[in-house]
Amino acid sequence: MDEKQTRNKVEVRNLTKRFGDLTVLDGINFNIKEGELLAIVGPTGCGKTTFLNTLSKLMPTTEGNIYINGEEADPKKHNLAYVFQEPTCLPWRTVRENVAYGMEVKGVGKEEREARATKIMDLVGLTSCADLYPNQVSASMMQRIAVSRAFAVNPDLLLMDEPYGQLDVKLRFYLEDELVNIWRKLNSTVLFVTHNIEEAVYVAERILVLTNKPTKIKAEIPVDLPRPRDLLNPKFIELRKEVTELIRWW
Amino acid sequence: MSGSSIANETIDHSKNREPFSFYKFITNKYFLNVVSIVAFLLIWDYVAKEKIFRDSLARPLEVVDQLYMLTYMKFAGTNLAGHIWASTQRVLIGFIAASIVAVPLGLFMALNKYVNAVVKPLFDLFKPMPPIAWVSIAILWFGIGEMSKVFIIIIGTFVPCLLNAYNGVRLVDPDLYDVVRVLGGNRRDEIFHVCFPASFPAVFAGLQISLSSAWTCVLAAELMNSRDGMGFLIKRGMDTHQPTLVLGGMVLIAAAAYGTSLLVTLLEKKLCPWKRTIENL
Repeated sequence: MDEKQTRNKVEVRNLTKRFGDLTVLDGINFNIKEGELLAIVGPTGCGKTTFLNTLSKLMPTTEGNIYINGEEADPKKHNLAYVFQEPTCLPWRTVRENVAYGMEVKGVGKEEREARATKIMDLVGLTSCADLYPNQVSASMMQRIAVSRAFAVNPDLLLMDEPYGQLDVKLRFYLEDELVNIWRKLNSTVLFVTHNIEEAVYVAERILVLTNKPTKIKAEIPVDLPRPRDLLNPKFIELRKEVTELIRWW
Repeated sequence: MSGSSIANETIDHSKNREPFSFYKFITNKYFLNVVSIVAFLLIWDYVAKEKIFRDSLARPLEVVDQLYMLTYMKFAGTNLAGHIWASTQRVLIGFIAASIVAVPLGLFMALNKYVNAVVKPLFDLFKPMPPIAWVSIAILWFGIGEMSKVFIIIIGTFVPCLLNAYNGVRLVDPDLYDVVRVLGGNRRDEIFHVCFPASFPAVFAGLQISLSSAWTCVLAAELMNSRDGMGFLIKRGMDTHQPTLVLGGMVLIAAAAYGTSLLVTLLEKKLCPWKRTIENL
């Protein structure tokens, strides 16, 4: 591990969110290293989406804060990106314009935008439909567009909210590989929330397991497996079991 | 099977080629369309010929004759094109005037709760009142000239324009705002990148409804009092008992309304190219 890999890019301190009497997030603390792919798993209804909404600053926190590079996170200052559960393409923009949209808001120059959009579309195989509109491509394509748009802004922190939850198994594996691939190429810092344990073990470098509401961090599991990962590797299965035991809700 | 692929999605371009058969011919969609229209015209002709409505229903060809005659003969000082244009002009002036004010106002109401709080109650008060109810007061206020007719059209088109623009903004998928917000976009980005384009289809739906309402209004206004226009042809036909003229006016007004609606559709296609879809995807 070189030095860059060990620097803390994101620090979350005492993150707490209450809705009236209901405590959803209860003093969560963790760090994300630069260039790390961190997965978060938890039982259904543990407030994963609230967790992401506070991290992305869409929702104010009740207590605590998020620091990026030691500064308080601010969407206007930092490059945050969010891939939502539902595909969220802007229907009135072509695929290319959608991929470039994040850079447009960030004020990236036109040439730079084109260049980066072209590069990312090549990486994820969107080039052939660059000039189509979102209603002309399938749901998995739309999610790819959202992922590309997020990576294209060179985010300080990329948040993903069960982006592949709605897809069938084959496509999911394919897109997970693709995600790992872009993440390694662009060296982004990614926080990947999922309820799919296998998915978490497959993509992540480290897994945080959450408890039921009020949500805390129950355990931290480093995933030290070589890539590409093998779903049938005994070590992989062992890790998957370990995480499953931790979040058993049945 | 002939298929092509766009971004890993297979598109079916294969055509079902069966040999020609009588059954296939008589079940053809276009053939049935023609059958339906021809049958309608024949029944109409039969009913008119047998004088079931005494002499008050003209035969289809008589109506065509009458319309053809009007193209070279002046009727009440104006030829056919003049009458068509007179009504169309009123519709266009009223429709454009109303939409220029109503659409921005509707968008603004949806975006700003204070504007909404001021405008909404007035709007709710006037909304249920049928535009035709304004005809008499309009004549009292503006006389029997152009102004009163345009006024009725403005009243009739304003409500659907405003309502659709308003709902168009309110029904925007909230997730799309989050996309802009997370990326650090400001309120202006939200409005121009999400709100306006997202409300376009609803605005255009409102314009279409307005347009058909405008034609209803112009007809009502011309039936009350006018010296030209298609409503005038209908009214004069009724007064002088010429069913050809009444039916001719009705056909014309339908054609003109269809024409203007087509223009709005074309404009929408031009402004919202993203609504196009690929067949069979």
